[in-house]
Order: sequence, then C-alpha cells, then structure tokens
Amino acid sequence: MKWFPSFGFQRRNRELKEEIDAHLQMAIADRVARGETEETARQAAAREFGNILLVQDVTRQMWGGGWFEQIGRDVRYALRQLRKSPGFTITATAMLAVAICANSTVFSWIDGTMLRPIPGARDTGDLVSLQRGERNFSPTPPFSYLDYRDLREQNHTFTGILAYHHDWITLTGGAQPERAYIANVSANYFDVLGIKPMLGRFFLAEEETRPGAVPNVVLGYSLWKTRYAEDPTIVGKSIEIARHPVTVIGVAPEGVVGAMPGIREDLWVTLDPLGTDVWRMTHRDADWLNVIGRLRPGVSRGQAAQDLDTLMHNIVTAYPNEHLGENRITLDPMWRSPFGANGYMAATLPILLAFAAVVLLLTCANVATLTLVRFVSRRREFAIRQSLGANRIQLVWQMVLEGVALSIVAGAVALVLTSRTSKTFAWFFPANSNPLLLNGSMDHKVVIGIAVSSLLAGMLCGALPAWRSSHAPAIEVLKAESASISGGSRNRKLLSGLVVAQIALSLPLLICSGLFLRTLRNLADANPGFEQDHILTASVGVNIAGYSNDEARLIRHKILDRVSALPGVKVASFTDWIPMTLSQKKEDAYPEGYVPHPHESLQVQRAGVTARYFETLHIPILEGREFTPDDDEKAPSVLIVDQTAARRYWPGQDPLGKNLRVVGYSTLFTVIGVVRNSTHTFVNESPEPMVYMSFSQWGGPETMVQVKTEGNPVDLAPAVENAIHEIDTRLPVFDVRSMRESTQMASSFAVIQSALAGMFALIGLVLAVTGIYGVVAYRTQMRTHEIGVRMAVGASRVDVLRLVLLQGLWLTGIGLALGLAFALGLTRFIARLLYGIGANDPVTVVSVVMLLGAMSLLACYLPAHRAMRRNPVTAIREL
Amino acid sequence: MLILQTLQWGPQHGYGIVQALRLRSGDVLQVETGSLYPALHRLERQRWVQSEWKQSESKQRARYYRITAKGKKQLASDLDRWEQIVEAIGSVMYVKPEESAS
Repeated sequence: MKWFPSFGFQRRNRELKEEIDAHLQMAIADRVARGETEETARQAAAREFGNILLVQDVTRQMWGGGWFEQIGRDVRYALRQLRKSPGFTITATAMLAVAICANSTVFSWIDGTMLRPIPGARDTGDLVSLQRGERNFSPTPPFSYLDYRDLREQNHTFTGILAYHHDWITLTGGAQPERAYIANVSANYFDVLGIKPMLGRFFLAEEETRPGAVPNVVLGYSLWKTRYAEDPTIVGKSIEIARHPVTVIGVAPEGVVGAMPGIREDLWVTLDPLGTDVWRMTHRDADWLNVIGRLRPGVSRGQAAQDLDTLMHNIVTAYPNEHLGENRITLDPMWRSPFGANGYMAATLPILLAFAAVVLLLTCANVATLTLVRFVSRRREFAIRQSLGANRIQLVWQMVLEGVALSIVAGAVALVLTSRTSKTFAWFFPANSNPLLLNGSMDHKVVIGIAVSSLLAGMLCGALPAWRSSHAPAIEVLKAESASISGGSRNRKLLSGLVVAQIALSLPLLICSGLFLRTLRNLADANPGFEQDHILTASVGVNIAGYSNDEARLIRHKILDRVSALPGVKVASFTDWIPMTLSQKKEDAYPEGYVPHPHESLQVQRAGVTARYFETLHIPILEGREFTPDDDEKAPSVLIVDQTAARRYWPGQDPLGKNLRVVGYSTLFTVIGVVRNSTHTFVNESPEPMVYMSFSQWGGPETMVQVKTEGNPVDLAPAVENAIHEIDTRLPVFDVRSMRESTQMASSFAVIQSALAGMFALIGLVLAVTGIYGVVAYRTQMRTHEIGVRMAVGASRVDVLRLVLLQGLWLTGIGLALGLAFALGLTRFIARLLYGIGANDPVTVVSVVMLLGAMSLLACYLPAHRAMRRNPVTAIREL
Repeated sequence: MLILQTLQWGPQHGYGIVQALRLRSGDVLQVETGSLYPALHRLERQRWVQSEWKQSESKQRARYYRITAKGKKQLASDLDRWEQIVEAIGSVMYVKPEESAS
C-alpha cells in the first residue's frame, strides 16, 4: 500500500544503499589485498562499519525530508484508524460535508452577486453608486443629465463618473423581431468600468451629446453571438433597432453585462442617440440617470460624499425649483448598492451565511462528541503508545490529524456538491419582466472558503477531544478496566458541554426559521388590496417596435376591442405598471395648497391606467369617478389618488377637484377620484402615496394588457396572444402570465429566507437530537454495571428511568436556557425581514422550545427505557 | 571540518575519506561510519560539498564528494575558529603560575 509517492525519496534511498555497499566492497577489497580471506574480510568490514540500518536511518534524517516522511506515516496511521471504524467515518464525513456545503453554497451566492457586482469591470471595490435624496429600497434613477454633468466635471474625488439608463427595445430588421435590454450610457461608461472592447471601439467623448446622423451602437457579447452569429466583421455594419438604422461600432467582451448588479444589458447606445430626447437632456428636473463613480486612489467614500454634497448644494442653490425636497448625496459600495439586485442581496444573504456558520459549529460539536467517544474507547491504545515513548504533543497531533483527514474528505465532497448547488440560486426567482442575471458562482474564493472552513472544522472536531483525551495518565488507564466510568469526569464534562452547545445552537436556528416560515405565510395570506386570481397580464411591445404615436394609439384601441371580445374575458384594460413586480415609477409631486415639512420627500408612485383598470383589479373607488375613454390627450389632465395620498396632502378635506403639479409634466392635474390603498411593491412596505394617471394622457412607455377571466387565466393566454398578433404579426407580445405568478417576485426573498433557514434548522434539529441521544445512550451503556447493582439492591425500574432521564433533561434544560438567550439576541437582526410577527413572538418561541424539548426527551427516553428493561443479573455480569 | 579538509586534497568517496583520515592522523582518528555518512549528507544539503557517481581506481562504482566554493569558505572560517579555540585552550592550559596566583 503506497499512500505517498514521495518524489525522489526512493531514488535517494537506493543511492544511499549503493553508497554504503560500495564502502563495504572497498573495505573488503583492501582487507583481501592485505591477505585476509574473503570471508573474514567481509565480517570485519561489516563489524567495522557498524549497524548499517542505523546509519541509513540517521543519514536519512539529514536529508531534511524527515518530517515529511513522519507526516506521511502519521497520515497513513490516521487513515488506517478511520478505515477501522467506517460507521463513524462515513457519518462524520457526511455531516461535515453537508454543513460545509451549506456554507459554501450561500457563500457562492454572495460571491456571484455581491462580490462580483459588475462582471468584467476592473477593481469594483473603487466603484460607488450615487444616490440623491431619501435612501430607500429599490430607488428610481436619481439624477438629471445636467446635474450629472456638473458633478462629473466639477468633483475632485473621482477618476470618472458614468451614467446610464436602460429599458427594453425591439431589434427589428432581422427575420424575427427580438426584444433586448438597451442602455443609454454616457460616453465614458466603459472607461469608468475599465472594460476594453473585444471588437471595434466604444464611445468617444464627443459622441455623448451630439446625435449622429446614424447612431452608433455597442453590442453585448451574447447578443452578438445569438442574433448576429458571431460575425467577426460586424463592426461598421448597419443593424436596425426599433426600425431605426444604427451602426455597430464595437462588441463588448464576453461576460460584460452592464453596470447594474444583477441586470443584463444587451446593447448600448449614447444618451440621446436620435436627438429626440431633447427634453431629458436639457431639464434639471428630469431625473432619469443611474450614476456610478470610480473613487480616486486614496479617497474615502466619506470624503467623496462630502465633495459631491458641496457640489450638489451649489446646484440646488442655483436651481431651487428643480430640486425641491431632499437632495443629500449618499454613496454605496457596489456590493450593497440599492440600484439593482444587491440591495436585496445584502439584506438577505449575510444573514443566511451566519445561519450556515451556526450549522457548521453545531456539526463540529456533534462530530467532536463522536470523536471524543471514540477516543475514550481507544484510550488504552493511547496509553500504550504513551508508555512506549510518544509524547503528548505527538498523540494530540495524531488525533487532530484524524479530524483533519475527515474534514479534508468532507471538504472535497462539499466542493463537488457546491458546484451543483451554487447554480440553484436562480431557481428562487420566478419568471418576471426584468432581465435578471442572478446566480451563484464557483470560483477560487469559494474554493478557498471551503478549504478554510473544512480545516477549521477539522481542527475543532479533532483538537478539542484530543486535548482532553491526552490528559489521561497512562498508568491509570492501563490499570483501570472499563468499569471505571466513561473515561473520567473530565471527558464527561466535555461531552455534556458539547451536547449543551448543540442544543443551544440549534434553538436559535429553529426559532429564526419558525419566524421566517410564519412571515412567508403572513405574506401569502395578506390581502394586497387588488385581485390576484383570474387576472392575466401580457406586455405588448407597442412602444419598442417603432410605431408612430398615432399608429400606436390605433393599435391599442384595436387590442382592447379584440381582447375584450374574447370568450371568457370579463374585463380588459391597459396599464403601464404591474404591482408587486419590483418595478416602480416615481415622480416628485407638488399638491396645490400643501406645505411640505422640511426634508419631506415629495415622491409619489405613479401608474398610467385606462378605463376599467380598477374594475379589472377589483380596487374600489371610494370617491369620485374612474377614468373613461374620454380622458384622452385632448381632455384636461386628470388624476386618481389613493387613500395615502389623499390623507397626506388634503387631510380632512375633499380631495376631489384639488390640483397637483408633477415634476416633468407640463400640465396641472386635477384629482377626479380616490381609490382604496393597495400594495405597490412589497406586502410589508410602508405605504407611499400613489397617483394614477390616465393612460391615454400620460401612460407608457410600457403597454400591458390586463384581462379579468372567468376561468383559469393561463388558459386564455394563447387566445390573447393570437388576438394581438391578428392586428400586426410584428407586434412583440411577452411576459404573458397570471397575476399570481407575476406577484410572486415580491415574496421571492421571503421564500429564499424561509427555505434556507428551514433547511438549516432541520439539520440543526437532527444534529442536536442525535447528539443528545448519542451521549445519553453512551453514558447509560457505560453505567450498565452500576445500574445493575442499583437494581440488585432494590432500585425500582422507575428509579432507573428517572436516573437516566434526569441527566439528559439537565443537559437539555441548560442548552435550552442558553439557546434562548442566544436566540433573543439574534432575532433582532432578522426583525427587519419579518412581516406580521414580532422578532420575539412568544408563540413561535414557546412552540420551538417545546418541540426541541420533546425531541430531546424522546432521545433520552429511548436509552433510559432500554436500561430499565435490562435484567440486573446480566447487567452486573457485563463488564 | 575534518571531512572538508580531506576533500581539499581532491574529490573522494566515503571509504576513501575514512582511510585518508586514519592515514593522516596516524591511526589516531577513527571516523565512525555511523557519523560519517550522516555528516556527508548534511554537508551536501548545506551545499558545502557536491557528489557524483564515478568509477574508482579499482573499477568500483562509488559516490565521490567534492568540496564547493561555499564549502571552502566554510572550511576557512571553521579553521579560524578552531585556531582561536586551540589558542584559547592553550593559553588556559599553559598559564604562567604568577598570573594564576593573582
């Protein structure tokens, strides 16, 4: 059996032998030459030389590789020991592998999202996202072009600041129109990110504002590959976007998907490629740009924020009317940037990683228990080795090595498992209308993470019991027979400690998962204020297919007519926004006669809807009227507000007939109705004021048809699609799904949390219960003799039962008490993620404690029962 | 030091070193093979000697050791130290009586 193909070692050994051999030969030759017989010469030479093996051994030590050989020997010994007890080895390896995999999986998700916020970009640690005004979850683009220009040109703390805005568009010109996510970007976009083109070039500074006769476009790698068949000569060619000819000037390298974490951009054009968006480019109140800056080397985020704040303050002073409300600038590193997915990730994944770490600790405690029991039963072996001259360090080293060997195998298994589980992250996100690109990644960081955690785990499971076991004085152990208790009181204390630790660690896991599960149920049960069943939604690419406004209006009319006439359709309407899909449209609104508090945000959410929208979604109109088809471009602009807006802006007054100015809209809106509140983004959001505009006045650019059906909405999907395609086959129809399915996006993070926490808690429960069972059973077995004696002198079975149960319950009690304290401290961190339930919800806490208590009781009862049923005579005989 | 000195006279194999030392010291110094080979291998690891396999005069394949430049430097410094020690010991052993009395 060769475990170590020690390089060169064999050869050097052979050479040494040969060298000594030569020595002897020469000595013999000399003696023979002097006249001795061959036989006596041989003997004399050998005598003179001394112990050949010893010389070899001492010489080998001089090579310096001795420690290597020593380790090889120790490793072989450890593996042999592990092979001797396959049950222990397999159990421990499997448990460790699962626990390490739990950690590495969550870490691979963090690695793939938070740690790689902008794939392909250089030094993402220096990038910060800029946010203006109130900090909130999923903010809308915060900057206007002119403000962005001022910040970019006047700051002293950034090497570059980029801006972008992205949306869907249709690629025309090919056989089949195709929807793609396009970004309008500042000319320095790729420079600031530090990305070089794979083909052609990126934008030049002078192209940023100057609309070319034929706009330039940069293609993303995957689009170039799929739609343009990896054409190597594509640079300079003309393609068609929304029926406009554009020239391809470059292709981005593989893997580059844009600057917003978790979102995939397919192609890039300049900010105003057609010169048709003059208004957006020239107005300081048109906030449409997301902005990311690269800090100068040595500049801290705080200094940069101060620098920009000063600039922003000057801008606000110069243009106060365009900057009402809060204008403070905050900077976020990309791993927790609120723009894109990382805001959500940063709120969820680190907590899950902490849970996974607790699972790993728990597993270590469990494996340490097993190891300790194993060492106790091997204490004679250790004692013998000690008396033969092994020192304590060597013994401990040997035992630790066994733990490390286990954990290395477990780490390898975890590595294989993780390469599969890391890609499961995408499963948690239901079909949705965003070009989401979220998944775990498996790179060197994950591998290092696995290596570190498995080594630490191995040390923990090996070292602790090893140190304890090596304490036992050799003479005592050799003298004592197994009757002398389970390896001394010290081991017993460590065993108890480990059991207590397992219970104390699993309790918070269980409580947190209980809270998450109940949160998920509360979210599902919550009434969002609108109808989710029997609604089908479908997006129609009217705006992205390049129709003129009049054509589009006509098409929309036709769609509504045809879809409404379909059998099984009750009501149909248009909207440009679907609630609870993580999309938001926000504007600053100034209600007439309302004086905002200092620093009050005037942001409102907005949606453009047609007549019968509220009827479709079953949102009751509380006052006034709904939109009618007559509320079109020619009619005065009208608005329907929700209760939150009405109460906030016109408390105690009749909101009907009140006027409201919205930043970026040229007209004054008049309120014609009030509707009941409904959920906008998350069930657990704090309600923000909402205004509904008439679709035909201010709707778009998205066009989504909403259909209320009689039966299952999904059954009607083909019919609706057909009806639309009958109008124009080139009309892209996409994201056809039921409202139920669309709104699942809002709870996807709650699903992730409860699914993982639940899984971790289950592992924790199993480990804790098997842990306490193992220890109580083991100890009871060790005390078989004692119990036999007790019964022989008159203890009843109930006494025995009580004896065994009590010791188990003691441990459980202490573990539960500690765990409870631990849990109460821990749940504060997840309070933000809960809905409809307190962080210390007594029902959850009590039921979890009862569950864990009951399981532990059962785990103690089984060995107790067995001890009780023993025949005292056989028990005494059994030593 | 003695081994290095022996190798100063030319490359030599282990057996030759033993013989050479015995010869030069007039049979006073008997090098134990038990310490010779470990010492040679240690010197090689320290790069003070180099070794190669060669045929000896008697057609016996043997490993020849050769002193390196580094080894010569080491030998010189060892020799220095040795002389210092000899001198120091000498001056202790042969002290004049009046000096020891004071």
